[in-house]
Amino acid sequence: MGFAVRQVIHTTGEIALTAGAIGLLFIGYLVWGTSLRAASAQRQLGSELNQQWQQAPARGDAVEAGPEQFHLSTGEPFAFITIPAFGPHWRFTLIQGTAMAQLDVSPGHVPGTQWPGQVGNFAVAGHRVTAGNPFWSLPSLRSGDLVYIQTKLDNFTYRVTSEKQVLPTDVGVLDPVPGHPGQRPVQRLITLITCNPAWTGTHRVIVTGVLVSAKPR
Amino acid sequence: MYGWLWHRLPGNVPARTAAMTLIVLTVAAVLWYAVFPWASVHLPVDASGFGG
Repeated sequence: MGFAVRQVIHTTGEIALTAGAIGLLFIGYLVWGTSLRAASAQRQLGSELNQQWQQAPARGDAVEAGPEQFHLSTGEPFAFITIPAFGPHWRFTLIQGTAMAQLDVSPGHVPGTQWPGQVGNFAVAGHRVTAGNPFWSLPSLRSGDLVYIQTKLDNFTYRVTSEKQVLPTDVGVLDPVPGHPGQRPVQRLITLITCNPAWTGTHRVIVTGVLVSAKPR
Repeated sequence: MYGWLWHRLPGNVPARTAAMTLIVLTVAAVLWYAVFPWASVHLPVDASGFGG
């Protein structure tokens, strides 16, 4: 073989090996890097939220009479979510918005859906994998499992009632009365969303719950 | 590619090894802190959002 041919084969091999190494590094980033990033974002969001709550007037002050109001810009934290079925250490902040930029740091409130405790449908989406795998165990939730949402003024408890799998285009699950657009809601629901199977974007797991208690903090 | 780079690095073998390691680490850091965060947002890895 001529020198040039050998040189081409040699360089091609080196490029292929380099691409493989970069690919492995990227997988490492998705598994560990994104979780580290999300964990530090969670710490920051959590302390930001606690600080806001301490500064803001609590319920009982005349200013805050009536149901809790939410006026948030994208990326702002507004609540903590706790699901005992996911283990004693599982807790995340909830932020406004569910674009990749938000999901990469925290589960988010789907814009346009209702807020915690409101009549209608409070929808939350989170990553199944990457970013700390917040909703890794979502498909394992069963009817009767509890979901706690802590906001500035209230502790809301939702009880899981159903779980199903849908296509990403089936946005009816976000309706105030899921699957019945335009219908007037009477129930106070929560909808938790993540992708299924893990690592893909082909389907969504939808877990629905109903509000069973709302206590002022 | 790597041979070409190796021959252009100055100094003896330990110095070249050190320089080579530094280059590889720098490239890895740029990938990890700049390229991968950007790529993970634009690739359909775990698209848990909804409605497109």
